[in-house]
Amino acid sequence: MTFPRRSLPSRRDPGHRRVMVIATAVTLAFLVLIGQLWYLQVLEGGRFLDASDKNRIRVRPIAAPRGILFDRHGTPLVDNRPAFTLSLIPRELPREVESRDVVLGRVAALLHIPYQELLDAVARVQPDSLLPVRVRRGLTLADVAKVEEWKLELPGVITEVEPQRVYPTSRFAAHLLGYVREASDEQLKQGRYRRGEMVGQTGLERLLDEYLRGQDGGERIEVDAMGRPVRRVQQTEPHSGAQVVTTVDRAIQEAAERAMEGHAGAVVVMDPRNGDVLAMVSTPAFEIDRFTGTIERDAWLRVVQDPNFPLLNRAIQSQYAPGSVFKVLVAAAGLQEGSLTPLDRTHCTGEFHLGTSTFKDWKDGGHGTVDLHNAIAQSCNIFFYEAGLKIGGAMIVRYASAFGFGQPTALDLPGEKSGLLPKPQIVRGRSGRTWPAGETVNMSIGQGTVLVTPMQVARFMSAIANGGVLWRPRLVQRVERPDRVVWSDQGQVSGHVELSPVVWAFLRQSLWSVVNDGGTGAAARIPGLDIAGKTGTAQMIAKSKAEKGQDHAWFAAFAPMKAPEVVVVVMVERGGKGGQVAAPIARKILNAIFFERVAAVETSG
Amino acid sequence: MGRIDRRLLQNVDWALLAIAVGLVVMSAVTLASLHVGRAGGSVVVRQLVWFLVGLVALILLGSLDYRRLVRAAPAIYLLGLAGLVAVFVLGRTVSGARRWVVFGPLSIQPSELFKVCFLLMVVWAITSRWAQPVGKLTLVLTLPIVAVPVVLIIKQPDLGTALLLVPVLGILLVGAGMRLKLLGGLVLAAVAAAPLAWLALKEYQRERILVFLDPFRDPLGSAYNVIQAKIAIGSGQLLGKGVAGATQSRLAFLPERHTDFIFAVFAEMWGFVGCLILLLCYVLLLLRGFDIAASAREPVGRLVALGATSLIAAQVLINVGMVTGLLPVVGIPLPLMSYGGSSMVASFMTLGLLLSVRMRQFQ
Repeated sequence: MTFPRRSLPSRRDPGHRRVMVIATAVTLAFLVLIGQLWYLQVLEGGRFLDASDKNRIRVRPIAAPRGILFDRHGTPLVDNRPAFTLSLIPRELPREVESRDVVLGRVAALLHIPYQELLDAVARVQPDSLLPVRVRRGLTLADVAKVEEWKLELPGVITEVEPQRVYPTSRFAAHLLGYVREASDEQLKQGRYRRGEMVGQTGLERLLDEYLRGQDGGERIEVDAMGRPVRRVQQTEPHSGAQVVTTVDRAIQEAAERAMEGHAGAVVVMDPRNGDVLAMVSTPAFEIDRFTGTIERDAWLRVVQDPNFPLLNRAIQSQYAPGSVFKVLVAAAGLQEGSLTPLDRTHCTGEFHLGTSTFKDWKDGGHGTVDLHNAIAQSCNIFFYEAGLKIGGAMIVRYASAFGFGQPTALDLPGEKSGLLPKPQIVRGRSGRTWPAGETVNMSIGQGTVLVTPMQVARFMSAIANGGVLWRPRLVQRVERPDRVVWSDQGQVSGHVELSPVVWAFLRQSLWSVVNDGGTGAAARIPGLDIAGKTGTAQMIAKSKAEKGQDHAWFAAFAPMKAPEVVVVVMVERGGKGGQVAAPIARKILNAIFFERVAAVETSG
Repeated sequence: MGRIDRRLLQNVDWALLAIAVGLVVMSAVTLASLHVGRAGGSVVVRQLVWFLVGLVALILLGSLDYRRLVRAAPAIYLLGLAGLVAVFVLGRTVSGARRWVVFGPLSIQPSELFKVCFLLMVVWAITSRWAQPVGKLTLVLTLPIVAVPVVLIIKQPDLGTALLLVPVLGILLVGAGMRLKLLGGLVLAAVAAAPLAWLALKEYQRERILVFLDPFRDPLGSAYNVIQAKIAIGSGQLLGKGVAGATQSRLAFLPERHTDFIFAVFAEMWGFVGCLILLLCYVLLLLRGFDIAASAREPVGRLVALGATSLIAAQVLINVGMVTGLLPVVGIPLPLMSYGGSSMVASFMTLGLLLSVRMRQFQ
């Protein structure tokens, strides 16, 4: 160390020497500072530069609004509304576990969220992630106010605004639309979705998820020390999802839901001229609005474990014996094949003996002497037992197959059941197949091994109404973006059943009598409207006394009889007799269609 | 008279002055880039006004003979103590501390100015004939000189300034020839008394020391300054981000960025190279000061110069040490750089003492 030497005192002067020692010590201290600066700026500089960038840049994803689903007249079935979401930014939470847990504890106490839920949410992501983890959607304004009020105590806790699904009523078209939820862990594993992304999980939301989803945008914002935005560095606009025009008529859907209130079962309303599904109801329905976004664990378990299976779409996912509705098919087969004529008569005593077995009519004492017309109108079992044996099991199954039973309707929704038709039994020792007579007897009144879905019945009834055309049920007309139609469905005929015009006319006339001429479906009668229909009561094999009388009630109808515009199928689980339970429901729906919204139906063609 | 004046003027240490002015220029540039408060320029203007006041004080002290100042030291010291007491009577409270006395538009921080009074008083005591030879007795004599103001300043509370007085006293005692063994014993005693001092500290002061030991104790609370300062300094890297890119400083992540933490702002803008130049300026300044002390021909001059130099040295080392995370955060400004009138004037008074010694060393 050299000093400018202008000084006179000698080096040996003790005072001089001490000053030099102190000067050296001070200089060494400066070297330590320079060493620290070297460490901070040169060795660790990159890391700190990164930290300063993260300090000032915040990434905020902007969720794209999901596409809207419209009914056939352009009325929205579901809409979006801005909703508040509670999110955690892992990197801005306190780094120390203890103080972080204090923050999470505060959030849990403020908003009544289970503490564990918050811990789980944080544990799922990287601790230095800047992307918000959504914890709870659909905060109330009061909740948001609480979070804002405690903002300084809650580092890393933010509220975001996101579009959320909103439905006309809590359970509106729950099975048809399906619910939208954050991608589950399993879906994340497939790699198609990002964490926190909203994905359609059931119904049309799932089927059309890719169209509905849209593209999320995002913005990078420079913020100051208080987290206040200073300027926007970069922004990508979100692109909202495509719009879906369904075949559903919202008014009819709502009427059908109202009519089914208090019953478990399903309703399908179809246009027999083109297979358009105008309404599809399954009850009990789940609360679709609560399922959207984040649902509390308890509420989820309650729905999943509900013995009434509210998640099941009974219109396509449940199979029932068709009961007497099936007699229409037996009559058609018999008439067309010549095994039956309208002139055939049977004396119904209320009992039918086959070998050692006795089959009963639903009416004690029987219907007396009935012809085919009356047998359909009165739903006489004895007549159809005999008719069934005359026609033969194989022939009935062939006709059932031709009318689409035993095969899925190929509706757009996933999870459809195909129903069941009895198979001929192979008789041992001889080549060839045979039908046990008892099986055939049961089948001719829609019992036994015949199982159908309400949607299949609707397609069948449509074919009766339109003269044999089997339409594939259509739910979605088209998917459109602002500039073009990206997907469309023009409707599709999936089969034809050729019957003599006389047979069609006879069947329609008989079904008209069911409702309008003292038949079992009198409860569906609406003066001024020619409704044709068939009741059905599918017997449950009573395992206990409590289950007795808990039969499934069916009513399948179309109207107006001369030029059918709608088919209405009502199925009430454990409802009792079709004519007493299902028919009045169908009446309410038909009344709503033809007398409460006349204009809507007229334009629906 | 004219002859003497010319002689004095010949010995003015222009290099020392040039370095000091250079530092003030760097301070002004840094402050100007910060846009503190509503009127961005006002802080710079005020700082430059205080610089002029400081220059006047420097010329005043430089033209006075330091020996006369030391002789008057007891009176000056008492005046300084009165200033410290005045804080409690007239003081204005800013963020929980009563450090300022307000005179119209001016607010003065007596503890800053007191440092100069203290320095003179210690030199007076050490060189007084009762204190000879320098030993235990000297220690006993000087301890109350430091104890009374330390208690007063800690009460304000201004821990940094209070702590500053102790090393300055130590260096002066060493410079006066006190045996290191004795001083070492004193340091040991101080360490032993540390737990007592802990009790006397305010909650936030304790917290600061704890945070120094573990910065992530509370990253958004008291450790915030340290972490943000480190990020600011480190992100400057080798060459700095320049004025426009210094986001840490300009976006206000850095607290007290125009006063105690101004070094972090400078470091972010100019990087390691800039810091090296800045610290080199300070080192040169201090070496000039030590040279003045070393070349002084009598003990009073040497001690005044040594005390003045060590006062500046201690402030620079403690300030940069705390901003870079080497020392706990105590409120000590960076001499000549930090915004603040009292500090600026006190620094130039200290330099004035150095000049006074230099000019008279050949008489």
